[in-house]
Amino acid sequence: MEAITITLNGREVSGQAGMTVFELAREAGIQIPHLCHDRHLAPIGACRICIVEDERNGALLASCVTPIASGMIINTDSARVRERRRILIELMLASHPDSCMVCDKGNRCQLRSIAAEYGVGFIDLEKIPLPTRMEDVNPFIERDLSKCILCAKCIRADQELVVVGALDYFNRGFSSRPSTFGDLPLEKSECTFCGVCVAACPTGALTEKEKSYHGSASRTVQTICPYCGCGCSISLEIKNETVVRSLPDEESEVNGGTLCVRGSYGYDFIHSPDRLTTPLVRSDGELQPATWEDALSHISETLNRIKQSAGPDSIGALASSRCTNEENYLLQRFARSVLQTNNIDHISRLHNTWTLPSLSRAIGSLGTTQSLQELELADMILVMGADPCCSAPNVAYAIKRAVKRKGAQLVGIDPRRTGLYPFARLWLSPSSNSDLVLLNSIAQTIIEESLINREFVLRRTDNYEELVQALQQYTPQYAQEVTGVPAEDIRRTARLYAGASQPAIIYGSGITRYPNGQDMVLALANIAILTGNTGPKGGGIYPLQKDCNGQGAFDMGALPDFLPGCHSISDKKAKKLFEQLWGTPLPAQAGSSADRMFEQAQHGTLKALLIMGENPLLSFPDRKSITSALSNLELLVVQDIFLSETAATAHVVLPAAAFAEKEGTFTNFEGRVRKLNKAIEPPGQSLPDWQIVMRLAEAMQHPFPFTSLDQIGAEIEQVVPVYEYSSFPTQTEPGESDILECRRTHAEQFLSGFPRFFPVSYNLPPLHSQNGYTFTLITGSSLFRFGSGSRSSRASRLKKHSPQALVQIHPDDAGTRGIARGDRVRIYSPAGEIPAVAELTDAIARDTLFVPYSYPDCPVYSLFELENGKTAGLFNVCMVDIERTQDNG
Amino acid sequence: MAETKEITSSELKRIRDIIDAHSGQKWSLIPLLQQIQEEVGYIPPQSIEPIAHALELFPAQVQGVISFYTQLYTCPQGKKVVRVCRGTACHVRGGKTILKLVKQNLGIEEGQTTPDYEYTLETVACIGVCALAPNMVIGNTTYGHMNPKKVSLLFADRERGEEHD
Repeated sequence: MEAITITLNGREVSGQAGMTVFELAREAGIQIPHLCHDRHLAPIGACRICIVEDERNGALLASCVTPIASGMIINTDSARVRERRRILIELMLASHPDSCMVCDKGNRCQLRSIAAEYGVGFIDLEKIPLPTRMEDVNPFIERDLSKCILCAKCIRADQELVVVGALDYFNRGFSSRPSTFGDLPLEKSECTFCGVCVAACPTGALTEKEKSYHGSASRTVQTICPYCGCGCSISLEIKNETVVRSLPDEESEVNGGTLCVRGSYGYDFIHSPDRLTTPLVRSDGELQPATWEDALSHISETLNRIKQSAGPDSIGALASSRCTNEENYLLQRFARSVLQTNNIDHISRLHNTWTLPSLSRAIGSLGTTQSLQELELADMILVMGADPCCSAPNVAYAIKRAVKRKGAQLVGIDPRRTGLYPFARLWLSPSSNSDLVLLNSIAQTIIEESLINREFVLRRTDNYEELVQALQQYTPQYAQEVTGVPAEDIRRTARLYAGASQPAIIYGSGITRYPNGQDMVLALANIAILTGNTGPKGGGIYPLQKDCNGQGAFDMGALPDFLPGCHSISDKKAKKLFEQLWGTPLPAQAGSSADRMFEQAQHGTLKALLIMGENPLLSFPDRKSITSALSNLELLVVQDIFLSETAATAHVVLPAAAFAEKEGTFTNFEGRVRKLNKAIEPPGQSLPDWQIVMRLAEAMQHPFPFTSLDQIGAEIEQVVPVYEYSSFPTQTEPGESDILECRRTHAEQFLSGFPRFFPVSYNLPPLHSQNGYTFTLITGSSLFRFGSGSRSSRASRLKKHSPQALVQIHPDDAGTRGIARGDRVRIYSPAGEIPAVAELTDAIARDTLFVPYSYPDCPVYSLFELENGKTAGLFNVCMVDIERTQDNG
Repeated sequence: MAETKEITSSELKRIRDIIDAHSGQKWSLIPLLQQIQEEVGYIPPQSIEPIAHALELFPAQVQGVISFYTQLYTCPQGKKVVRVCRGTACHVRGGKTILKLVKQNLGIEEGQTTPDYEYTLETVACIGVCALAPNMVIGNTTYGHMNPKKVSLLFADRERGEEHD
């Protein structure tokens, strides 16, 4: 690239052709004041505050949109420039209200701080107030457009970063303003309340709606959002030991200035009055406050007694994908080395991570093959069984940016039209249980039409002939008959995928929660291998994770059949290594998975269960069986931040610290290991989960040899190969980001070193109406709630905006059932019934219902039944019926 | 404003054809809008979403462009658009009176359309023929040296019964 030298404030500075004066100045350490510029947004030169002077001709140039040219003699701060900036600020203030004293933006207002810097106070110009249009019906964002300076940051953040398209300029001249389509209030527009525009707004035009005035924060702590698997960096603003705001971290490589509504407005559950502050022990049938000593000695005595009398395998532990790596690591070590059992699992494994070993068998990757930034370079994206707009909004932003900015071709495979539908080139909706046929047919078409990457397939893969044999019957015509997807769409998908230079596959729990989820992952991998798109170069595969640390809980070995680092229990060498490290023999047999543990509890063979941060009564199918299983236990210990539905049935409840109150690391779905920083103290006597497990081990007379988190981190680094670079420095250098980031590297896992084809066949029977239950119920995530809903339903603004679960039903079905929009309905199956409110939409197929799983008042999993106690892959669909109970009133 | 005029199905069909002809061409937004306006006289708000979809834009973006240009309308306009000049030259030669008389003759205010969709009244800042001030434009024809008599002649057909009904 050609270097260009210019004179900047009397100094010679060189930059590359194409850079703007603003960028070069920033690189040279010269700050130019600005209002509309943002490094994440395309520059538009709207505010003109960044003007600089070119001495050669006296031209005043908006530096953010002026490319450098050789010979320029630029002054960024001459008297003339300063005078012009003053005038520009005066003009802005001439149509700005004089409400700075009571404006919520307060010291965060960039217009005010620039005015102060330039000494602009009294304005000697005629005031032309902008039309006041206060808008504050929604619980998240307050819009006061009389304070708008038309910098278009909100419009650009909306269109360029989160790609929602809710806003654009409306009208021109004095009546120009950012507005929604149809000039409607935000809650009636496409707006998703991600809050990115609020964080970007340089004035008080957009502010967070707050219960009371908070003003400026006293300090800011960078940490990680506790909701989805994206693991976005957030800055928590703290005042009087209360978190008052959550803003996107501008510097983050993961979310670079963006967040979603949960990240921006979902944090205040940590200050809920429902937080547990003291240990509770059940006596006389009631949970009573107790001291830590009493609670722990009660647990250790009972556990020792059960271990003595019924053996170690009568005890189990559930770790959590919402807890840190260190906490998951400690709990599995506690189970294995202290309790001497492999009965350790985490529930989100059954949603997602149980399929990771399949991915590893095929392409050698135990997670995403590339990072989110590389996803944005893809020229074709296939999204299957995932609704990232709700489940992982940051991934949806990346997909939509790839489509809008780079022209990537998007194909969605989902029975429901999700938020990605308007961006898709093709949308395939296979009938329930038939997805695998569709995938096999895409692979068959790629082979049939000679679209394979021949050199790659023949020289660098195994098992190709077997695949060709097995796929013969899966012609698009056959697939059309089985799946209902037009054969031509299948062929077009195959051509789009195989014809792209960097196609990416994204899949989520929409396929991994099916009983044949592992097969579907293999079928997707076959498609990727056929075209040589298994990473690291070219396109990749991106499995989404349900929770903030789903990948971490898996890597830490919170699994019944794998030790940390995905070493199989039967791997004698690995077992020996851990025995030496932990100084104790380890159980040889694989333990019970979560579903097996519940089954054993029901049969009385499992007598004690420790649960860390999970709420199986809501997040597991078949509430009736789980209830009876839990009530059968001699000891149920629950560590949680709230008295969850499960905790309320426990014998001992231990109060845990929330994400903002502890340190540790989360591994996001990309495999980035990222550090949590403590923002505030935990309430009352509550403790971080890792300290609780440490105390438990101590009470069991097997104290862990750790005194700090760093030491736990060091051990993880030692035993989990992919976490080699993850131990976090004890002290960060000044100026260095507090967020530790490291990209988890993937060891080569496949035997021959080559990706391997696994022929998989169609083995799920189509769902039919049974005994009058005619609707197929699909569950999935929702934007305004998360997980089992125990945190998000205590986030005041999320709850206010979305008070109840909506069931999606096709208007035709609603018509025949006499259901109108907003009517209260009852959804019932042989296992139970739930209330909901009807939402009529043709985004869903006929005879299908969609209910989100994150509303505690609408526990959708209670409609599911365990079939022979097996749950893996049974979270996704069941047969139900629906009836109206009450009119929309 | 008279938004009550409904678009006919044949108009809808013609709009659909124009949109389809530009499908996938993001650059063609303004020519497309102009064509629709030529075809049906204005851009019906219900066509914004199909336009946005066809051109892979957001509806808010299309609305932003329409609302930026005064030549683009989202409500029905009269067959003839009357533009009375309010530039400085016209102003000193009595443009204000001309505007008042036109309003009286048509029985509508600025920005409005007569109930029979014959005329829409607008003002412009200058039409560039200040030597002929005061000026007005009807459709594509410019009328200079306006005076009260000329105004009533131009709107002779509307003299009775049309005012303030």
